[in-house]
Amino acid sequence: MRSLTNFAPSTFEERGAAVAFTTPVLAQTRVRKDSRDQLEVLVPNLSEGRGVYVVPWKSLPLAFPMTVHDRMLHDLIAKADGCSPDDIRKAVLEAARCGLAGGGAVAAAEAALSDDEDQRLLINYQLIVEALKAVGLESTEILRVGLTSAEGQKLTRDLMMKAAQRLALEPTELYGRIAELAVMMEAIGLASSPKPARLRRLMRDLNGFRDSMTDWATDNVSEAAPIGGFCAEVAEHTVNHARNVIGQLDQAMASFEALLRQWETKRPQIRKACSRLSWLLDGWEYLILLWSDALTQDRYTQDMAVHDIFRVIPLLPKDEGRADQSMLADQLISSHKRSVRAYVDWRSGQLDVDLVMRIETIKGKAA
Amino acid sequence: MEMRDLVALGDKLLDIDEAKFRQVVTLLEQMNDHPDIQRTIAVIRPRLVELRLHRRPTLKRLFCDPFEDLFEALGKADPVPLSVIERSLMNGLWPLVEAQVGKERLRAYRPALHDGPERKALTDAFWADCAAAVAKIAEGAVAGHFSEALDLRMNPSRTRALADIATILSIAPEVAELKAALSPKPVPKLHGDHVEAIQSIGRRISRANPEALKIFVLLAASRLTDPSVLLSGLWDMDLGQKSADRATLFMQLSGTVVAQIEDRSRLWQDTQASDRMAVADLALDLVASLDATRTAMEHSRNKEFDQRLKQVRNSVHAMVKNQVLQDADAGIVAAVGALDNGAIGSSEGRAQLAQAENHARALRKCATIADSLGLRGELREVTQKTTASLTEKAQQALGGPAGNARTGYTAIRMIELIAGPAEANKIMDGIMNGGRR
Repeated sequence: MRSLTNFAPSTFEERGAAVAFTTPVLAQTRVRKDSRDQLEVLVPNLSEGRGVYVVPWKSLPLAFPMTVHDRMLHDLIAKADGCSPDDIRKAVLEAARCGLAGGGAVAAAEAALSDDEDQRLLINYQLIVEALKAVGLESTEILRVGLTSAEGQKLTRDLMMKAAQRLALEPTELYGRIAELAVMMEAIGLASSPKPARLRRLMRDLNGFRDSMTDWATDNVSEAAPIGGFCAEVAEHTVNHARNVIGQLDQAMASFEALLRQWETKRPQIRKACSRLSWLLDGWEYLILLWSDALTQDRYTQDMAVHDIFRVIPLLPKDEGRADQSMLADQLISSHKRSVRAYVDWRSGQLDVDLVMRIETIKGKAA
Repeated sequence: MEMRDLVALGDKLLDIDEAKFRQVVTLLEQMNDHPDIQRTIAVIRPRLVELRLHRRPTLKRLFCDPFEDLFEALGKADPVPLSVIERSLMNGLWPLVEAQVGKERLRAYRPALHDGPERKALTDAFWADCAAAVAKIAEGAVAGHFSEALDLRMNPSRTRALADIATILSIAPEVAELKAALSPKPVPKLHGDHVEAIQSIGRRISRANPEALKIFVLLAASRLTDPSVLLSGLWDMDLGQKSADRATLFMQLSGTVVAQIEDRSRLWQDTQASDRMAVADLALDLVASLDATRTAMEHSRNKEFDQRLKQVRNSVHAMVKNQVLQDADAGIVAAVGALDNGAIGSSEGRAQLAQAENHARALRKCATIADSLGLRGELREVTQKTTASLTEKAQQALGGPAGNARTGYTAIRMIELIAGPAEANKIMDGIMNGGRR
């Protein structure tokens, strides 16, 4: 166990990706790879003090009693290839779909998957339109006959052939580049998209979270207020970084012809920016929903929610932010420590039914 | 906006956005005296409390300040005060107090509403004047008669409330101190400094005005999440009384606490509740209050209270048995079975499933109090029977190729909710290792 300050991770990979467990003590704990490429999980200190427990992934069920849903999620993550936020999200949605976290989570997971599907179609179409526009070809005809119809596909193929010629590329190469770009940008979408994609929505919500948390913490005499202020500050930094990254991506997309022509140099940049954005916003969705849920409840619940958020807040790694957030967090530990939460029912030592239910309800709202 | 329009909005005001709501409240405040406006304010009061809007300071608000903790609870989850004062009674009372005190004197008290050097002295004098006025009004109000002045029928609880208001106002400066010490409301647990404050203020009151001690203790209790918590601390508190007086006060408070527990236990006695979790929560709460009260009463064996507590325990027993244990098996298994009939997507199917999950959680919750209610055997029987039927369902669905995996996992989930994750994991492992995975 190391202190939070010396633990302060330097990179996103070292910080790990948040896992949406429903076992209260494990909710939003982070998973990462150790030096031997084995998975390990970082559990924040149970006494709400400094430091984290680092537990090998395989031993997690032995160290903490877990819900059945979490056991399945644990299995799925162990079997998955990587532990990036996208890999974890895939596993989380798959586990939620089974029904082990309740009907709400099934509906939310299915809605999220169908939204992914819609976004995939949308961005593919939009990128084709961009490609055609970049070489001066008209694309409205495709829209009229419909992209999915046979006629529309033929028309698209013809136009793309022409576009490839003008770009001095093999048609398959052009298709390949667009397909790869679509996969990378799927969660972010284009700025002109009629329906903002997942990460853009998340960034907007994080902005709202920052505002509402700032409002709550201002003129509040509660002990949790400085902690709330800190959470708002972390959100602010994160939003600023995310806005920069999205700005870069939007700029690259705006000069689409240059992007296609200088593919070899631009591709790694786009890939890096996309992955950085998903790391930046990783773990925030749950916290935003937790907070908006707490806002409808009494003041005591709001204080507790602020402590819960602080416990797992995604601090920016040292290499990302100029301000050292873990130092600031360290200063708040003493007031945070005053609200130690029992994650199990104190009468029986068993899982706290109400806490699990609350996490599941929030899971049901995530889409 | 016209006043008529504002009033017509009524409960729609509960849903408009916050900025607009604040604007409307300011408008309403400006014409506060009209009865229609008062009615509208009454409708939106829960939201006012929730947003903690800073309302315009008025003498009426200052008048209510000492006894506001005894107003009837607005939200269902809010703690109910041990001795309730109706808002309508206060609304009727204030004009009488105004008349009794006189316009001239009231005008002199206005500076008490704003910060200033004489604020405290003026406030204390205002409360003392009001106390005298209310005491006079209370003398004239006879239980059972209709009071023209208050526009209310005076039942015994209203006469008692009037007398309480007069007493509280006479100790208002001490009450203000108490409120500062037991803050913010509701206080979930009594700490050393809380007890210390109650004791030192209580001692002062018992010297100057011993009759006011009971209502003072009730006020302190109403600032706690669970008023019965104070009861257990009360016996060891030194409030500066003789021991016989202390015993009397203790008995009085115990009587009020027991009466409140009795009231709460009647909530779901006869009607069938749709939300079984609420029943389980209430049962847990009542058993905790019962235990706290019983422990506190160890000091004063009183047969009558024992009998009454026993009755409450019996009615909690009946409530848990009829509302949680009965039909648990059939209801939960049927909801899981409905998944096979293609009800997954339909909203009724989802609602049925959510209800069954609630039922399962309620069962598990009640396991913690089953022992003290004497329901251990019955609960175990229901749990085992339900778990067995669910295990069979899960085996059918997950063990063979033809099964519906969603049904299987839902059955496992229900087992988890009823019997805990360890049991559910064991059953799941058993099925998976024996069949496919």
